[in-house]
Amino acid sequence: MRIIACFKAVPEEQDIVVEKDRQLNFDKAEWKIGTYDLNAIEAGKQLVEAEGGQLTGLAVGGTALDSSKLKKNILSRGLDDLYLVIDEKAENADTYQTAKLLEASIRKIGEFDLVLCGAGSSDLYAQQTGNQVGELLGVPVINSVNKITPQGDKVIVERVLEDSVQVLEVSLPAVLSVTSEINVPRIPGMKDILAAKKKPVTEFTVEDIGAAYVQPTSLVLSTQAPEQAERKLNILEGDSEETIDEFVKLFNEALK
Amino acid sequence: MAIKNVWFITDDLSAIGELAAGARKLGEHVTAVLFSEQDQAKEAIACGADQVYLFKKTEGSFIEGYSKEIAGLIRAEQAGLVMVYSSASGRLIAGRIASQLETSAISNVSDLYIEDDHVVAEHMVYGGLALRKEKALSDTVVLTVGLGVFEANAKDESREGKVTEITGEAENAGIKVIEIRPKQGETVNLKVAKKVVGVGRGFANEEDLKMAEDLASATGAELACSRPIAEGEKWMGKERYVGVSGAVLKPDVYVAIGISGQIQHMVGVNDAKTIVAINKDKNAPIFKQADIGLVGDLYTVLPKITEKLKA
Ligand SMILES: Cc1cc2nc3c(=O)[nH]c(=O)nc-3n(C[C@H](O)[C@H](O)[C@H](O)COP(=O)(O)OP(=O)(O)OC[C@H]3O[C@@H](n4cnc5c(N)ncnc54)[C@H](O)[C@@H]3O)c2cc1C
Ligand SMILES: Nc1ncnc2c1ncn2[C@@H]1O[C@H](COP(=O)(O)O)[C@@H](O)[C@H]1O
Repeated sequence: MRIIACFKAVPEEQDIVVEKDRQLNFDKAEWKIGTYDLNAIEAGKQLVEAEGGQLTGLAVGGTALDSSKLKKNILSRGLDDLYLVIDEKAENADTYQTAKLLEASIRKIGEFDLVLCGAGSSDLYAQQTGNQVGELLGVPVINSVNKITPQGDKVIVERVLEDSVQVLEVSLPAVLSVTSEINVPRIPGMKDILAAKKKPVTEFTVEDIGAAYVQPTSLVLSTQAPEQAERKLNILEGDSEETIDEFVKLFNEALK
Repeated sequence: MAIKNVWFITDDLSAIGELAAGARKLGEHVTAVLFSEQDQAKEAIACGADQVYLFKKTEGSFIEGYSKEIAGLIRAEQAGLVMVYSSASGRLIAGRIASQLETSAISNVSDLYIEDDHVVAEHMVYGGLALRKEKALSDTVVLTVGLGVFEANAKDESREGKVTEITGEAENAGIKVIEIRPKQGETVNLKVAKKVVGVGRGFANEEDLKMAEDLASATGAELACSRPIAEGEKWMGKERYVGVSGAVLKPDVYVAIGISGQIQHMVGVNDAKTIVAINKDKNAPIFKQADIGLVGDLYTVLPKITEKLKA
């Protein structure tokens, strides 16, 4: 099976600092692979391990993608090769712009059986890129996929809806967005990290993949942390009888 | 200024009232796209729709296959705004329609209004760290919206509207529904609970959740959890996890036990009147967002607390 797993580079959310004026400061935040994109890569890896084939990683983004640490990290997750579309124009792209760039990249990479996306990117969490790419490629597209079982030139997928599970037969090629429950991404070992060094990386610009410029579909007016409720910060420490009594007293008052 | 044509699309009938009200508020003429029976078309009209497209939905049909046809109707009738209910099916329909209309799908909008003749949408980014305001620029704005954003209007059964039934089959090249299994598991409505006890990865084993259950029953609270407990460990159902991608609550008291207090989780309880935290790490972020806190090992302190509360 020829599988392309899509991932996005995002700032480490734990290191984004909220300033006094509620603006976000990204200075301390390193770029990492989106948390839920790892599930897409793992799903691809498991399929390739079981069925044979090739697993390709694909990301489009700004110059943040041009980081050797990030590349090593992603390659150590068992990819056979990696394609990066690095271009300032791809920075802060909306879901349609991203989908158009991914579509052009995928066409450039060539034949594929499956394109896998995560449940949502860690920054936007729009849960839309996969849906939009699938429609642009004109192939079957399914979201919320919780299980993938290959069956000849098709896959059987389980899709989780609000109150039921749909079992679908999907012909290939197809685009699937997986849930964050589909698997537990493995942690790369020493061997994987060493093997990563030998994997080919291809970098493209937007011109290289022949993608036309698409106007943004919206203008960001502001991005600001919501106002925090004032909290009493009455924090007790220890497990002595008195401390617990004191805690229970405060707790009881709140329960009333 | 109102938008001339506003559409809403939902596969979940319980969303009709709210979406119709939202569409009415923003638009002059409201079109509903529904997938099922005539009765619901009547309801949509009573709730505020002027026109309903009713697509056929049978057991085992894949309604997302109508996306292209719906996009065609939207284009022909020049809708300025399309709101899609953010169920899993709704999200897929929204993305497919948006691609057809050469635009993005703005997701999980928490507020929506018109400013200078443009739709302005607010939604969370960076896992709830920030709220983003976006002015939509495309001719047809596509977005997804959940419950709780608009307030349903009182139904007016005397309202009249046009109903168009679409009897054609969905276009589902390459996709076949083999089976539909009802999802097991209980349904909880955390949103109505006044007191909620939330558990996190501080619990090492599933059996240990018993301690949290005891506290919950001693205080009359509903049990909830962080996302890893529901999705990674699967110790609780998905409907019980709290946060930006889970349930957003407004209880009187929220008790977080063994939860670190990451923003993605806390967004779900920021509106709680009182936040109580138990965590063994005094530097856990939760202690910067709590009214009452106890730094201690939950395995030692929790049973004692429950016992004292019962006394
Ligand atoms: C896009 C995105 C969306 C997300 N959406 C959500 C969401 O909606 N809801 C959500 O919850 N998460 C969400 N997350 C995940 C979130 O970032 C955190 O990973 C998660 O909330 C952490 O869960 P936790 O607090 O249970 O676990 P941890 O962060 O691992 O914290 C466990 C805590 O338990 C404490 N502890 C350990 N042992 C003990 C003990 N014996 N006694 C007392 N305390 C102990 C530790 O000190 C620690 O603070 C999302 C993440 C992303 C990227
Ligand atoms: N810039 C990108 N490059 C590659 N894949 C992406 C990009 N943005 C989003 N994706 C994929 O699409 C999924 C959903 O993203 P989103 O629609 O932004 O929530 C992610 O989990 C990724 O798998």
